[in-house]
Amino acid sequence: MTCVELHQSLAEQEDVGSWEQRTHLRECPACSTLVRELNLIVAAAGQLQEADEPSPRVWNSIEAALRQEGLIRPQRPFVSSFGARWGAARWLVPAAAMLLLALGIYMRRESQADHAAQQALVTSMGNQVASQSDLNDDELMQEVAENEPAMKTQYAENLRQVNESIRDAQGLVNESPNDADARRSLMDAYHQKSMLFEMAMDRPLP
Amino acid sequence: MPLPSHQSHANSTTQTTYAASQRVRPETGDLTEPRQQQGAEPSEADLIQRAKLGDAEAFQALYDKHKRRVYSLCLRMTANTAEAEDLAQEAFLQLYRKIATFRGESAFSTWLHRLSVNVVLMHLRKKSLPSVSLEEMTQGGEEESPKKDFGADDVALTGSIDRMQLQRAVESLPPGYRMIFVLHDIEGYEHNEIAKIAGCSIGNSKSQLHKARMKLRDLLKMNRAEKAGKSRVG
Ligand SMILES: [Zn+2]
Repeated sequence: MTCVELHQSLAEQEDVGSWEQRTHLRECPACSTLVRELNLIVAAAGQLQEADEPSPRVWNSIEAALRQEGLIRPQRPFVSSFGARWGAARWLVPAAAMLLLALGIYMRRESQADHAAQQALVTSMGNQVASQSDLNDDELMQEVAENEPAMKTQYAENLRQVNESIRDAQGLVNESPNDADARRSLMDAYHQKSMLFEMAMDRPLP
Repeated sequence: MPLPSHQSHANSTTQTTYAASQRVRPETGDLTEPRQQQGAEPSEADLIQRAKLGDAEAFQALYDKHKRRVYSLCLRMTANTAEAEDLAQEAFLQLYRKIATFRGESAFSTWLHRLSVNVVLMHLRKKSLPSVSLEEMTQGGEEESPKKDFGADDVALTGSIDRMQLQRAVESLPPGYRMIFVLHDIEGYEHNEIAKIAGCSIGNSKSQLHKARMKLRDLLKMNRAEKAGKSRVG
C-alpha cells in the first residue's frame, strides 16, 4: 500500500485496521502522524458538544409565540383558581351536614311544616356543595389530567359512580324530604364526592 | 432511529486506529442528560403530557432540558450567535406546535434533534443559494487549500487541542464540510443517518468528512505555526 492509497482508504472507510493499512502505518512516519493527528481532532470534537447556552431572549420569544398561538393556556385560569375555590367550598360539606341535621330535628318537631319549603331547603344543600362553589366535574378531570394523568380513567369511573349515588339519593330525598335515611344517603354521597375532589387536589381528607 | 451518544470521545486516541470507528452507541437513543432518578423530577413524558395541556412551566422545562444541545448544534453550524438563537427558537417552535401528536419520551429528543438539523440545513441552503446540494456547498473550500506560509507542515499536532481553537477552525470550514463534521464528529450521527438528513450518498458523507478533518488539521497547524511565529517575533 502506498501513501496515496492509504489516504484514499481513509476517505472511504473509517477503520484503519486492515493488514495493509497497519503495515503501511508501521513503516511510514508521515502517514502514521497523519492518522494520529486526525484522531486527536476527532477526540477534541466531543468538547464542542453542548458547550454553549442560548440567551434568555430565546425562551422569552418562544414563550411569547406559544402564548400568541394559544399553545400556552393563558394563566391556567381554572387550574390555578380551582384549588382556591375548592378550598373555600370545603366547609360547605360539614355545614350542609349540620344543616341537614338541624332540618331533621326541626321537621320532627314541626311535622306540619310546608312540604315544598322543606324540599327547597334540602335541594339547596346539595347545590351549595357543588353548584354554588362553582366547581364542576370537568374541572376535576382537568386537574387530574394535569397532576395524575395515569389515574384519569380511575377518576372518571369514580366520578361517574358517585354522581349516580348523588342522583339516586337526591331522588329519594325529593320524594320524601322527611326521610332521615334518604338525607343521610345524600350527605354520604356528597361526602364521597368531596373525598374525590380532595384526592384530586392531593389534600388531606377532612 | 436511535441517536448516538458521545462516550467514545474519551477513549479514541489510539495511535493507529481511526478514532471515529470506536463509537459506542447505547440502545437508549436518548439525547438528553443522564436519566433522572425515579420520583425526583417530573419525567419527560409527564412534561410532554402537561405541555399538551398548555402548561407554560412544562414547555419551559422541556426547553431547559434540551436548549444547550440544540443551540450548540445551531451555533456550530452557523458560527453566528444571533443566527443560532433564531434557529434554536425556530426548532423549538416547530416542535411545540406539533407537541399534541407526541407519544413517547425518546421520540421527543430524537425528533427535536432531527428537526433542528433540518432547520439549520434549510437556513444554510437559503443563505447560500436556493437548492444547493451538499456537493456544491463543499466546493468552495476544496480549491483553496490553506496557505502554508508559516511552515505549517513542520508543526506537529501534539498534546490536546484547545476547545476554542478547534471551534474557530470548525467555523472557518466551508458550510458543507462543517455540516458533516458537526453531525458526525460532534453530534455523533452515523454516515447513513447523515446521508438521509443531508440528502447525499453514504460514500459522499464519508469522503466529505475525511476532507473536513484534513482541512481542520491544516487550519489547526496553521494556527499553531502562526502562534509560534508571533512568539518568536515578539
Ligand atoms: Zn505513507
